[in-house]
Amino acid sequence: MTKRKLVIALAGNANVGKSLSGNVNVFVNRNGQWEVIQLKKLINDMFSSLPVVRIGETDCATSQDLSVVSLDLKTLRTKKAKVTHIFRHREQRKLVQLRTSSGRTLTATQDHNFIALKAGIPEVVDAEHLAVGDQLPIVEKLSFEQSEPVLDLGDYLSGKIRAKNRQYQFSNKFVTVHGKKIPRLIKFDDNITFSNVIWDEITEIAEVDADDDYVYDLVVEDYENFMLANGLFVHNSVIFNYLTGLHQHIGNWPGKTVERAEGTLHFKGHTIDIIDLPGIYSLSTYSLEELISRKYIAVEKPDMVINVIDASVLERNLFFTLQLIELGTPMIIALNQIDIAKRKGVEIDPEKLEKLLGIPVIPTVAIKGVGIYKLLEKAIEVVEKRGKTKPVEVKYGDEVEDGVAKIAKMVEGIQFWYPPRYVAVKLLEGDEEISREVKRIAPQIVLVAEKFATEIEKLHGHPCSTVITSERYEIAGGIAREAQKLVPPIKPPIEERLHTLTTNKILGYPIMAVSLLLMFYSVFAFGNYTSELLSNFFYGWQPLFESLFGTGMLGKLVWGGVVEGIIAGVTIALPYIAPFYLVLYFLEDSGYLSRIAFLMDNVMHKIGLHGKAFIPIMLGYGCNVPACLGCRIMETERERLLAAFVTTLVPCAARTVIILGLVGHFIGIQWALMLYVFDLLIIFFLGRLAFKTLPGEPTALIMEMPEYRAPHLSTILKQTWFRLQEFIKIAFPLIIVGSLAIKLAEVLGLLEPIAIVLSPVTVAWLGLPAVTGITLLFGVLRKELTLIVLATLLGTMNFPQVLTPVQMVVLTLVAMFYIPCIATIAALVREFGWKKALFITVFEIAFAISLGGVALRLLTLIA
Amino acid sequence: MEGQRELKETELPLTALKDGESGIITSIKTGQGRGLGGSWGFKRRLMDMGLTPRTKVTVVKSAPFHGPLEILVRGSRLVIGRGMAEKIFVEIEKE
Repeated sequence: MTKRKLVIALAGNANVGKSLSGNVNVFVNRNGQWEVIQLKKLINDMFSSLPVVRIGETDCATSQDLSVVSLDLKTLRTKKAKVTHIFRHREQRKLVQLRTSSGRTLTATQDHNFIALKAGIPEVVDAEHLAVGDQLPIVEKLSFEQSEPVLDLGDYLSGKIRAKNRQYQFSNKFVTVHGKKIPRLIKFDDNITFSNVIWDEITEIAEVDADDDYVYDLVVEDYENFMLANGLFVHNSVIFNYLTGLHQHIGNWPGKTVERAEGTLHFKGHTIDIIDLPGIYSLSTYSLEELISRKYIAVEKPDMVINVIDASVLERNLFFTLQLIELGTPMIIALNQIDIAKRKGVEIDPEKLEKLLGIPVIPTVAIKGVGIYKLLEKAIEVVEKRGKTKPVEVKYGDEVEDGVAKIAKMVEGIQFWYPPRYVAVKLLEGDEEISREVKRIAPQIVLVAEKFATEIEKLHGHPCSTVITSERYEIAGGIAREAQKLVPPIKPPIEERLHTLTTNKILGYPIMAVSLLLMFYSVFAFGNYTSELLSNFFYGWQPLFESLFGTGMLGKLVWGGVVEGIIAGVTIALPYIAPFYLVLYFLEDSGYLSRIAFLMDNVMHKIGLHGKAFIPIMLGYGCNVPACLGCRIMETERERLLAAFVTTLVPCAARTVIILGLVGHFIGIQWALMLYVFDLLIIFFLGRLAFKTLPGEPTALIMEMPEYRAPHLSTILKQTWFRLQEFIKIAFPLIIVGSLAIKLAEVLGLLEPIAIVLSPVTVAWLGLPAVTGITLLFGVLRKELTLIVLATLLGTMNFPQVLTPVQMVVLTLVAMFYIPCIATIAALVREFGWKKALFITVFEIAFAISLGGVALRLLTLIA
Repeated sequence: MEGQRELKETELPLTALKDGESGIITSIKTGQGRGLGGSWGFKRRLMDMGLTPRTKVTVVKSAPFHGPLEILVRGSRLVIGRGMAEKIFVEIEKE
């Protein structure tokens, strides 16, 4: 069998998980010895000792020293075959259980492939297409080359063959199969020779629930199938993974940035590297998509490109396809989301599209795995018959073609890595990168191109790039119109009505306000409750801990530094941040966030941002850390920084504790609310100031308005988990180190000197008690510590005894603004580097202190 | 350049269209006006999204308080900021 490593680039991505239920028993050779083992146990065992790659919902490892019995379909002989990869992936669908006339059973996913005798010929079919009466291959007795005995699988599995039986070499370890203990290892010579294959008829096919979160599979070299312990053969796995870009691709939020993702799959004896180029939704402009794709195609030269097309917006997607065609790379098209297109009333004739484009088109529903097998088969076919496909030539108008022909001829004379025609078109379009590169080699070509471009502009009244883009769109439109039929949509009008209602000029705002308030309220209610529960639980261990480590220096450092740091992290991350993300991604995936951006665009423009920035700002009310990271949805560096700066001013959950606990509780709730309003004003004022001072221009909002849809639960969970991990990685180490440092200062008796050093600011300028210096220091770790430490140091929770109302307001104001907490600083560093993070930090400290002092003087005047 | 081209009387900025009205794009004004990301290739972006001359655009809805516009172009639904929409000129389709 020919084996080549193929590299396939994918614009978009898809998944199919074809696997077996984990409780089937397989007959494998591990480390030179044969054994019967549960598939689940085998794979989980091996995962514990091998590097495991997680790709989407799939865990995968490259196996070593693992072989199975395979069936050579040409000779119908059994062979020992190497297992190259082992997999497991999450599965929520129902499974299919088969029963054969001999009583053998097997449970697999619906799209798992089997070898079956159909009309007398063995072929590979998926479980969905198996019928009662089809025959599956089985082996009852295995023969080995050098050992005389033939192993009767039936006898062996039923426990009839005992360990003491000298005929077979068994280990004296046992494994339980179907309630029977059978010897675990059989020390055979491992060459399996001819074994008699017989065909076993399927008598029953039933749908069953999965009894495990995962399903499992092996990838077998050469033969693509393997024998289970009961003698049945099954085809092996074809895993076309959700690559890491998955969230972005199916996330209902256009304009996210993605990093390039890679995955490897094994199919029909080929090792295929799949490179996930930015998908249709990943970048908001096709120019950027094309730029990344063409760089990859030119530099890495993949064997083929699979262009994933969203069938519901065919015309716009074909625009990108045409650009890929111009690049001259071998490609096929996965016509994806045909189901959604159908609901929108777009019916596409794949055969017609294939004919029009001259490229194989395979309809797929990637998320359900429909069509993926065919897609891969086609991909390999195209690679093997390289050059056989004849993609349509992208022909522009006469004037453009005239220029293209002449320029292309000149380009032919120089060595360039893109096809001459492509270079010619791009030069006319004024493509910066290509113009620059060509200029270096042959500047005269660029001059000629510029001349043509000016002429074309004169003729058409539009710049040449506009003319070319228009003409390319016309071609895309023409193909789309011919290949698709528009019929009345069968989409339930409820989605449309929901859209109309939630973007309504009047009602849209109250609906948004109520939704957001509800969201905040439920997250905070849940957070408060759980946070307290968790912290009670953790502090419950303190006595035990102290009895172990004592209350000496070491005990104090470990508990107060390390353990309390961890507790702090856990009691924030789990109760507040996790539900916050869950709700946020729910809103995102359903499509509501895009509506909010639509409604809030105008307000955000006042501080130089656009509608999308409202999302991180909202996030900031929960926690500033995810909010800063969430600023990535903005398009330019400038806007990301601006949005991040604004979010650090948003009172997070911890600051809310101070505002409500100090001012709200002791002065009055109306004062607390006033502080919130004041905060909004400050955000507006500082945001506008930053917007005016930062160089560069603001960008306007352009985004695709996605359709409302039922949120995809696993996507939401995955995104939440991903963000939570990010938070833990950034925040935890710093919180712990910070706690340790402050605890150390306390143990060494440095706190009071620090308070004295800070007193010119705290006492003289802010008019606060000197101890607040210490509390504000603690607040850097977690803002709510400001309050907790204050109570400890002042020895009372009854703050009015020790603080005047003015002092309370001043302290709260300073705590609100004086510094983003240490975890937020870490997030800023990560996103923008040390310099900018430090600048924001220093600025906010200075601002808060000035503000506090001014507030003191003004409030005293009023009081 | 296009920005300096005289506009015909029938040409209107996209923002002048009422909800539900359609027009055919005649030109997109460029130039380094304040605040429209001219330096950032906004025109290129609009082109890429399919807003090329002679394309039909339908204004589905505009957000209140001078907010962005929801438009329908080439079978997809887009939201574009008002500042951008002001630079897109259309000719109203005569029924």
